[in-house]
Amino acid sequence: MGMTNDENQRSAELWFNYSRARISRRTLVRSVVAIGGVGAVQALLAACGGSSKNTPVSSATSASTSASTSASTSAATTAPTTAATTSSGGATAAASPSSAAASTAPLIYNTQPNPKLPPQKLIYAGGQDAPTIDPSDRTDYSIGALTMQLYDRLFRYEGGWPQPIDPCLCVKYEASTDATEWTFNLTDQAKFHDGSPVTADAVQYSINRTLQMKKPRANSLLPIMDLNSVTVPDSHTVKIKLTQPYSELLRALDQPIMNPTVVKAHEVNGDMGAAWLVDHEAGSGPFTIKSWTVGTAYELEAVDDYWQGWPGDSHLSGFTWQIVRETTSQRIGLISKQYDVVDTLSADDVDQINAQAILNAQVNYGILTGYTKLNDQKEPTNDLNFRLFLAYAFDYQSYLKVINNYGQLLTGVIPKGIAYFDPSVGGFQTDLDKAKEYLSKTKWANGGLTIDFVYVTGLTFEQQVGEIWLAQLAKFNIKVNLVPKVWPDIVTGCKAPDSAPVMNMIFTGYTIPDQWFFYQWYSPNWDRPSGGDYNTCSFFKDDNFNKLVDQVRSTSDEDTKKKVYSQMQQIIHENVPDIPIYVQPNIVGLQNKVQGYKYFGAISVDFWRLWVDDSKENTKPSA
Amino acid sequence: MRLRYYILRRLLLFIPVLIGLSIITFVISHIVPGDPVGLAAGPGSTPQQIEALRKQFGMDKPLPLQYVTYMQNILHGDFGRSLMSRHSVGGDLRAFFPNTIELVVLSMLIAVCVGIPLGVVSAVWRDKWPDQFSRVFALGSISVPSFWLAIVLQIVLSMHFGWLPVGGMYDPRAAMPARHTGFLLLDTLIDGDPHAFIVALKYMILPAFTLSLGSIAFIMRILRADVLETLNSDWVKMLRANGLPERVILFKYVLKHSLIATVSVIGFIIGYSLGGSVVIETVFSWPGIGLYAVSSALTLDFQPVMGVTLMVGLIFLVVNLLTDLTYGVLDPRIRYG
Repeated sequence: MGMTNDENQRSAELWFNYSRARISRRTLVRSVVAIGGVGAVQALLAACGGSSKNTPVSSATSASTSASTSASTSAATTAPTTAATTSSGGATAAASPSSAAASTAPLIYNTQPNPKLPPQKLIYAGGQDAPTIDPSDRTDYSIGALTMQLYDRLFRYEGGWPQPIDPCLCVKYEASTDATEWTFNLTDQAKFHDGSPVTADAVQYSINRTLQMKKPRANSLLPIMDLNSVTVPDSHTVKIKLTQPYSELLRALDQPIMNPTVVKAHEVNGDMGAAWLVDHEAGSGPFTIKSWTVGTAYELEAVDDYWQGWPGDSHLSGFTWQIVRETTSQRIGLISKQYDVVDTLSADDVDQINAQAILNAQVNYGILTGYTKLNDQKEPTNDLNFRLFLAYAFDYQSYLKVINNYGQLLTGVIPKGIAYFDPSVGGFQTDLDKAKEYLSKTKWANGGLTIDFVYVTGLTFEQQVGEIWLAQLAKFNIKVNLVPKVWPDIVTGCKAPDSAPVMNMIFTGYTIPDQWFFYQWYSPNWDRPSGGDYNTCSFFKDDNFNKLVDQVRSTSDEDTKKKVYSQMQQIIHENVPDIPIYVQPNIVGLQNKVQGYKYFGAISVDFWRLWVDDSKENTKPSA
Repeated sequence: MRLRYYILRRLLLFIPVLIGLSIITFVISHIVPGDPVGLAAGPGSTPQQIEALRKQFGMDKPLPLQYVTYMQNILHGDFGRSLMSRHSVGGDLRAFFPNTIELVVLSMLIAVCVGIPLGVVSAVWRDKWPDQFSRVFALGSISVPSFWLAIVLQIVLSMHFGWLPVGGMYDPRAAMPARHTGFLLLDTLIDGDPHAFIVALKYMILPAFTLSLGSIAFIMRILRADVLETLNSDWVKMLRANGLPERVILFKYVLKHSLIATVSVIGFIIGYSLGGSVVIETVFSWPGIGLYAVSSALTLDFQPVMGVTLMVGLIFLVVNLLTDLTYGVLDPRIRYG
C-alpha cells in the first residue's frame, strides 16, 4: 500500500529531526507508527539512507524506485543531500561527497495529482529577460529558472536553503577517495520530450558540448575536465575522470542534459545547434515551450506525463514568464490579480503586499552579497591599517535602517548560509575609536584626502552605501566622491589595479563554497597579462592564501577542508581586501492560492514545485 | 513632374544622411570607455574566452575595417548580432519596432483627436473658460512626469477599478494572436477576431494615452497660436466682410491655413516618440524599441544601438518627407523644386 505524499514528507521530517537530536528515538518510533505503520517505516528507512552503500568518499546509495499510480512512492533515493548543521539565524551546509548524507527526496513524486486541484496556469512577472536558454551558454537567475524547467540535470538543488542535492537523472554515484574519478548511474525512467530515453550518451554529449563551446557555463568545468573526461561504459552509466581532483563536482555538475538527436538536427555550419537553442529546447524537464516572444513573454506548458512526477498536491498546467521590469508595475499587477507571482520586489513593497488579504511576501536571504571592494594595490587602501580603519568606520546599523532592515549584515567574510562558513572568524562592527586608532597608524592620520567610491548608475542601494561612507569618513576629514558608472565601465576598470577605483561597490554570490575564495581573492585570476574582472577588484595577493585555495579545491578530506576554509576566512578577515556589508533580501510576492513555494537561494522560483489551490485564496501561509 | 523630381532628390539625400548618422553612431559607440566584450562574456570568463568572443564579433580588427564590414553586412540586410543576447539584431528590430510604431501611431491619433479641437476651442474662446481650461490642461500634461502619471493611471484604472490591464501587450492567460505583420491590432483584424482586437486595444490604451499627453499639449499650444494669428489676419477680415459664416471661415480656411506648423510638430513628435518612449515602455512592460535601445546602450552593445539608430533615423527622414509633402496639400502656394 502506498503512502501519501504528506506521510512520506512527515517521515522524512521525523528522521531529519531525529538525526539532529531534536527528538528522541522513542518519539521517532511512536510518531512513525502513528503515521502509517509499515509504509512509514519503509519511507523512514529510505529517508535515512538505509540501503546506502558507502564508498570511502561518497555516500551513494542504491536506488529502489517505482512510479506509483496513486500518491507518491516510498522509494529510497540515492543522491546525497547536504549535511546541515544549524547555527543561529541560519544553517550551514556541507555538500561535499564525504560529508553528504542520503537525500530524503524521492526520485519519483506524484504522478497523478489530486483530482480536486486541476492544474492551472500561472502568470509570473519576472523582472529580467532571458536572452538565451542555450544550456551551454551562460546562466543567471532568469535563464536558470527557465532552463531548469525545460531540462533535467543529474541532481536537483532547489529543495531548500542551504541547497540540498536531490536526485534527478542520477540515482547513484560513487567517487574515488581522491575525488578524481566519479561514476554516475542514471535512472532508466527519464525520457526526453520527443519520447526517447535519456541515456548516458546524452549526458556525455551535453557536458562535452558545454566544454567545446567554452562559454561562461563552462567556467566551472574547464579547469577540471577536458573532452576525454566523460566516458560511457553503458547506456545508463557515466564515468568522469577529472584532470585534477575536485571535491565540489556535484554542485558544479548542474549542466542541463540535452537530447543530442534534436540538437544535431538543428546544427547550422557546425554551430552545435547554438542559434536554434537560443529560444528552443531539447530537454526532458517538467515543462516544454508553448510560445516564445522575445523580450516580452515566455509561455511554457507542463509535460503531463513527466517522468519524475510532481512534488505538490497538484501542479501547474503551464506558466507565462511575463517580463515586467518596473517593480511598481509588478506590485500593482500582483494586487490587481493580473500576476500570480512576482520577483525582485523592493523592501518597500513588503508591507503593502502583506496588507492584502490575498497576498503574501516571502523575504529570504541567500547569497547575493554586497562588498565594498578596496583596491589593495593603490594608495591609500594598499595600507592594511587604512583598510582596517575603513572596516571599523562604516556605520553598518545605519545602513540597515536606510534599507528598512531588509538586509542581513555579514557576520564573516561570506554569508552564513554558505558551506564551511566559520562563525568564529567574526565580522566588523562600527567602532569609531578603533577606526581612529588604525587611521593614526597611517600617513593620513589627520585625513585631508579624497577618495572615489564607484557604484552602478541607478542602483539606489549601492548609492546609499556610498552616502554612509561619505558621512562617516567626513568625521575623519576624508572626502568621498560618489562616482556612478555604468556596469561595462566598472568591469573594464577592474581589469588592473591602476584603472580600478579605490573603493568599488560590487554585489556577488556563488553557491559552490570554493568559488567565493577562488573568484574573488585568488591572485592568479587578476595578476596576469589579461587582467581581472569585477570579482577580483580588490586585487588581493597572498601566496599562502593562493596555496590554500588550491588545496581546498583538490582535497576530499572533510576535516582538511573545514580547517582550510577556516584558515582562508581568517586570512581574508585579517587582511580586509573587501569590506563585507550585507546580504540582499530576496523578495517574492505571491497570491495566497499559489502553493508549494520553497526558497532555494535563487531569486526566482522552481515552477515544478508550484500548484494553485483556489480554496487558499484568503489563507496566508504559516511563517 | 517637379514633385516626382523633388521626392527622388529627397530620397537620394537619405543616403548621405544615413551614412553620416552611421559613422557618428559607430564612432561614438566605439570610443566610449568600457569593454562590452568582457561584459558579454560573463563573470569569471577567462581571457581566452573574452578574446574568442571579440574575434567572433570581429571586434579585434581596426575600427575602419569594422565599419566597412558592418556597412557591407547592412547592404545585405544583416544588422549583425547582439553581443549580449546573441540575437539577430534584424530579428529584434522586426519584433520590437512594430510594437513601438503601433503605440506611437495610436498615441498620435489620440493627440491629434484631442489636441486639434482643444487648440481651436482655446483660440476661438480666447481668455474665456474653455481657453483657461485648455491652457491648464496643456501645462499640466507637459509638466507632469510621464512615469508618475503612468503609475497613477495604473493604480487608479487597473488596481482600484480593474478596468484596464497593468501592462504587457496581450492577456498572458490567453493565447497570443498569430502575428502576420508584427502589428498586433492589424493582425487581429486580419484574423477577423474582434475579441482579440478589443483585448489588444485594452492593453494599448493606457500606454498610448500616457504617451499622447505631452503631444496633446504641444499640438494644442502651437495650433492655438496659429489660429489666433490667422483669425486676426486681413484676409480673414475680408472673408468676414464678405459675409461668410464664422463656422466656414474657421474650419474651411483658418484651420487649414494654421495646420502647417502643427503638421511640422506632429512629424517631429512621431520621430521623437519612436526612440523616446522608453519610460512608458518600461512602466507598462511594453516590448518596444525604446526599451531595447536603452538597455543595449547601457551595456555598450553597439550592434543593436546602430540598428535602432539607423532605423529611427530612416523613419525620421521618411516622416520629414511626408510632412513636407503635406505642406503642399495644406497650402497650394507651396511649390517643390
